Amino acid sequence: MNKSIFERIDLMLLIVTIAVIICGLLAIFSATYTSGADYFSKQLYFSVIGIIFMIGISFVPPRIIARSSYIIYLLSIVLLVVVLIIGKKISGSRSWFSMGGFGIQPSEFAKIATILALANFLSQGEDAFRNVNRFPEFLKACAIVLIPVLLIMKQPDMGTSLVFLSMILPVLFWVGLSPYVLFIIITPVIAVLGAFFGINYLIGAIVLIGLILLMFKKNAFVAAVVIVLNIAIGYSFDTLYHKLQPYQQKRITAVFDPSTDPLGSGYNVIQSKVAIGSGGLFGKGFLQGTQTQLKFIPEQWTDFIFCMIGEEFGFVGSILILTLYMIIIFKLVNNAYMTKNRFLSVACIGFASIVLFHLVINVGMTIGIMPVIGIPLPMMSYGLSSLLSFLVMMGIAMSAYRYRNQY
Amino acid sequence: MDIEKRKFFIYTVCSIIFALFVVRLAYLQLFNKEELAKESDKNAVKTITVTPPRGLMYDRNGHVLVDNKPSYTVTITPSQFDKNNLNEVAGILEIPPDELLENLKSFKGTNRFNPAKIKRDVDFKVISFIAENRDRLLGVDYQTDAIRFYPNNFRGSHAFGYASEISEKGLSKQIGDYYKQGDVVGSNGLESTYEPYLRGVKGYDFITVDVKGRELGSLNDGKNDIPPVNGSDLILGMDRDLQEYAEKLMGDSRGAIIAVDPRTGEILCFVSKPDFDLSSFAGKTDHKVFSALLNDPEKPLFNRVVQTKYPPGSTWKMLMSMAAMGEGILTPTSTVACNGSFSYGNRSFADHGAYGNINVTRAIEVSANVFYYKMGLAVGIDNYYKYGKLFGFGQKTGIDIPNETSGLLPSQQYFDKRYGENKWTQGLLVSLGIGQGELGVSPVQMVAYTAALAMNGLYCQPHFVTKIRSNSTGLEEDVKFEQRRIDMPQAYYDAVKKGMFLVVNGNGTAGNIKSSEFTLCGKTGTAQNSSGKNHSWFVGFAPFDDPKIAICVMGENEGWGSSFGAPVAGALMVRYLGGPGKTFDGDIKSVAGGQD
Repeated sequence: MNKSIFERIDLMLLIVTIAVIICGLLAIFSATYTSGADYFSKQLYFSVIGIIFMIGISFVPPRIIARSSYIIYLLSIVLLVVVLIIGKKISGSRSWFSMGGFGIQPSEFAKIATILALANFLSQGEDAFRNVNRFPEFLKACAIVLIPVLLIMKQPDMGTSLVFLSMILPVLFWVGLSPYVLFIIITPVIAVLGAFFGINYLIGAIVLIGLILLMFKKNAFVAAVVIVLNIAIGYSFDTLYHKLQPYQQKRITAVFDPSTDPLGSGYNVIQSKVAIGSGGLFGKGFLQGTQTQLKFIPEQWTDFIFCMIGEEFGFVGSILILTLYMIIIFKLVNNAYMTKNRFLSVACIGFASIVLFHLVINVGMTIGIMPVIGIPLPMMSYGLSSLLSFLVMMGIAMSAYRYRNQY
Repeated sequence: MDIEKRKFFIYTVCSIIFALFVVRLAYLQLFNKEELAKESDKNAVKTITVTPPRGLMYDRNGHVLVDNKPSYTVTITPSQFDKNNLNEVAGILEIPPDELLENLKSFKGTNRFNPAKIKRDVDFKVISFIAENRDRLLGVDYQTDAIRFYPNNFRGSHAFGYASEISEKGLSKQIGDYYKQGDVVGSNGLESTYEPYLRGVKGYDFITVDVKGRELGSLNDGKNDIPPVNGSDLILGMDRDLQEYAEKLMGDSRGAIIAVDPRTGEILCFVSKPDFDLSSFAGKTDHKVFSALLNDPEKPLFNRVVQTKYPPGSTWKMLMSMAAMGEGILTPTSTVACNGSFSYGNRSFADHGAYGNINVTRAIEVSANVFYYKMGLAVGIDNYYKYGKLFGFGQKTGIDIPNETSGLLPSQQYFDKRYGENKWTQGLLVSLGIGQGELGVSPVQMVAYTAALAMNGLYCQPHFVTKIRSNSTGLEEDVKFEQRRIDMPQAYYDAVKKGMFLVVNGNGTAGNIKSSEFTLCGKTGTAQNSSGKNHSWFVGFAPFDDPKIAICVMGENEGWGSSFGAPVAGALMVRYLGGPGKTFDGDIKSVAGGQD
């Protein structure tokens, strides 16, 4: 017992996490202030439970978590199948179990289970991570993520499926995927984005891809194949897009330009931009936001909670929140870096990429630079399943710190 | 690429994203603020809740039983309301100012920018005053609502029930958050049971307002409005003419009438008297009216069809016959000696007459007590309970209105608990055999039992609603109720039914309602009442060969079954079979002295 508390508990992560939760509670309080709906006390109650749980988890030795990870993973797959059969339908998707008044989302549970299974798989190389530059290993790693993704797409819950996908590349990159392969994997995304804006952009995107491939100075044949494939993908996207019904096209364009569909999917974005923008430097003050208090933005205690911050606490408040998240993400990456436990190292990168993806999509959507995809702001949006699952992640990340010297 | 570099790479990507967000936020909040703030000022939406009219109720022939009419509801939008007008507004609405203020403060389930319902069913004079002074009385407004209207010359109070403003308790106990203060909810009868269908689904109109709450117009020309879904209509099995006639025949007496179609269990008429005027609950609920009803010694709110539990008297004798035959104590033809009185232990039990050796059919016809004293003892408590259960006693029938009683059907356990084990004798079964003593039945149980006898064992769950008609799709959906068979030999049913036929058409106790046109069948009963005059029962069905109606009439303190129950039931069966306007052909004699 000669270690100081600072060496045993990741105080930095703990404090920042609690700070984020408190900000979230304030925002929920304000968002539901005029409606009288009691989301605040429920969230408060579960925050307290969640934080205790998180601290508890940080004391669990990594071996135990690693060993049980495959079983937990299998269990979560079973739950995802079961929810498809007996789950409760809420706004069109079958992703909830209802238990004694609380909804339980097995996909949140599966999120952690998948990261742990992936981490366990990747950490089982001889004295190092598995070599994901070998195709079979790469494929197996992807399969671990894709199985739950397919089940969740069936619910259907696009947002959560994307969250799962978002962790593949960062994790594989962390365990040693070569930047060259990584780049090849993301080239189709670049091509499609280019194609979306028009033929000139597509050409630009292909040229860019070519140039970068050239910089890697690898096999010219592979580079040529990649370029040809991307031209084909970009071109077929363009053709497909023009075959869509106008209303379907509108949905896609509204992602980038909400004003083209001000009452459909663009509606919330315009309103939330107005709310955030009208906050100015210091905001309108706690409980003083006219946009949010007038409930102009629907369900602002869930996905659009960042509007509250933007409107009532302004630029300063928004930057403070973003900074807190950045500290969490940097801290997770740093824990991954400093721990000698390979399993926890991969897990931390998985958590970091999930928090980052949630942050980018959620905040990006409220400030109008990302499509409207309904995923919560980590530990701030109202939602008990989501809150608990993030706190479990933080707990495991804290254990990476505590057991950083254990292999 | 070593791990150090990878970490650095990830840090860099995150920092770029962070920087992008900062730039975007700065653009929105610092450089675009003026424009967006202006946008935000005109950008507020007020939600007006549109409550759809409740669904109507129709009788089996398509006549409206429960209708709606327009009424005015005064609303106040708390955020706009000027407290200086409090006294004036409270004055015209006849609400104490303190109460109004309290109402506005504690308004549940909506926000202060939306209008709250303050008073329903307000006079037109008040509405025109509000309309004239709209500019001065900021935030005070009215909306048109539909309230209940009863277009017929009868009440049906206990059947239809009423829909009234949801109570504070009701609000806090509701599952979900559909109901807001000022909303109407079905609180009794069919209005309560079918609340989810009748109420429909509220809609919302969105109105753009500025920061001060002034209305600027409909948001996006009303394209975002969510239209309400009108409540669904209930199609009942009730017959309007029969219901009206039944209430008339009941007059000022206290009691109950229920008639069903024995083939389905559809309720044809349903009367519980004394009753109350449903229209007094339609608009504002006057607490004085309600507490007067509550404290009335005649208990008008008490639903005598489903809530009373009186002994059935001799109407119980069919059940005892079925039990005795079912247990092999009797056959349809075997006889029992009835010599005018019966002794058990040192007690003597009397009868109306000495009938000699008679079979079960004859015993029902003349309502022979000695016959059933003996059967009570012979059947025993366990079989007594078993057959009681079989014919639906001691349990709820499942009628589709609330607050039904299970009644009291005694069992071995019941008596053991009440008197202690071995502290009671089989002597109790002597009275129980003739339907007296510790036995409680409700008229709805009685009519279901009578219908089952008439239908040779087909027991149908009594119910009002046959179909629910959606007002949005126009589709009618059948409502399913249970039916079961009481499986006993046909000869037993025949023996009992023959007896019921002879009660009216032979030398029985209800010869006074013999009809030349229809073969009415039935059984009289007189329930002994220690605290007053006896209760009069009659159960019956008609026609004999092809039963179309089964009925139960119960008159509280009306004496003999033949003097009140039988004439009322007879007249109603004839009316139903003969159609509207039909009255009894013969002369209904009220038998002097009466018969049990």
